[in-house]
Amino acid sequence: MKVRRLIILTLGLAIAFSGTLPLLKRIFADTKPIVQLNIASTTPRAVEDSTQQAIVRDYSAAWQGMGTALANNSIGPLNENFTGYALDKLTERVKEQTQNGLKTRIVDHGHKVDAIFYSSDGSAIELKDTATLETQVLDGDTVIHSDQSQVHYYAVMTGAEDRWKVRVLESTQ
Amino acid sequence: MRRLILIGLVIAVCWFAADLANAAELRIPQSPVAGQAFSIGTSGSGDGTFYLVGPGTSVKRKIRLGEDVQVKGEEVRNAGRWVAIVRGSGGPQSQVFFVKPGKAATINFSARPSRVPVARPDSVSGVAFIFDKFHNFILDPTPVKFSLSVAGTTTSHNVNSKEGVAYINSSSAAKAGAAQFVATVDDVSVNRVVEQVASDPCNLRMHVVGHEKDQIIVQTDPIRDCTGNAVPDGTIVTFTETDNSGRSVVDARIKKGIARALLPASNKATIAVAAGVILGNELHVGGGE
Repeated sequence: MKVRRLIILTLGLAIAFSGTLPLLKRIFADTKPIVQLNIASTTPRAVEDSTQQAIVRDYSAAWQGMGTALANNSIGPLNENFTGYALDKLTERVKEQTQNGLKTRIVDHGHKVDAIFYSSDGSAIELKDTATLETQVLDGDTVIHSDQSQVHYYAVMTGAEDRWKVRVLESTQ
Repeated sequence: MRRLILIGLVIAVCWFAADLANAAELRIPQSPVAGQAFSIGTSGSGDGTFYLVGPGTSVKRKIRLGEDVQVKGEEVRNAGRWVAIVRGSGGPQSQVFFVKPGKAATINFSARPSRVPVARPDSVSGVAFIFDKFHNFILDPTPVKFSLSVAGTTTSHNVNSKEGVAYINSSSAAKAGAAQFVATVDDVSVNRVVEQVASDPCNLRMHVVGHEKDQIIVQTDPIRDCTGNAVPDGTIVTFTETDNSGRSVVDARIKKGIARALLPASNKATIAVAAGVILGNELHVGGGE
């Protein structure tokens, strides 16, 4: 009788854990990624304090939005944070993922970002980002690829109506 | 006998493991270029599924393991980090690779400001972001030529792009007019127009041209800036007459290069002229001039 109870209890705990872990993971994934911005070597114009704060906020939001979009195959989060070529490419990817039944899950461990160019008129900023990412590709619910690596990105952000939006996002070797 | 069976089993397990390991090995070219077809070698046998996931693209199709997978140029139009995955009978095999951008074909060129006074140092800025024909950001240094032409004179600057961007700050030319500001990379050019307008008036002078009933007519000489460009019509010129009875002010717009005003006739008055912050000569009329 005691053994039976123990087995049931163990099974119950196992079920609870298996449900809680993905939930915690999802909650963790929904938080904004950490962005550390360095503006020491920005040319030709120095980045103002308010712009620095806005870039950190909006670049982080863009990564969060991209993570949500690729994980859920939804375009909404992209429109809020991306524009131009970056928006076109990500939208296309989400559409093709949906067609093929694929998803991409990104666990974002943070970004070390250097602002390398800030235009004289203050309308565009280029960022060089070293991102620590864990990427999983899923076919349905099956993980078919998983890797964790540091990926270098170049991003160009431009001022939009109430925020900075990512116009170019390209990874390099 | 038992030992033999055990050895046989170990060999079989190793063989199976090696077979699994080789089931879907991927061979990807060193540096694929965006928009150019290439093939990915696979190993193993039987049916499999091939996935290609990258920026802007997500491909899934059935393949025969052991045969090369042909990746079409249109499937890899985007530069960046890609993952090729093959699923066969064993576990999925994947490989990360990078696609490079092609040659420069698009310039995103912004010129500021759209209207600028002539001969002003560092007043015109041009920023060019360089992309290939699939709108991939070209990060390798690329020579960019910036040229500013107006009224037959051209000034050029050659700049190498750094991490995808090239920029200059240039002085506006001495001549007024619609300046053509051009950014060129190889045979690709993008043109912007910067309207160069006359700067502040220089050597502003007026004189009396006549009288009309109880009024005096004053008129400026043709109004030009310090480099000889006519100050645009519509610019306001202020005439101020001061005499014993007080002050009369007339704001007149430049018309056909000159400004003209009717002021009350006076026995003894001083008339001054100004355009913006620039002061012209003074006239003493009546008891004076």
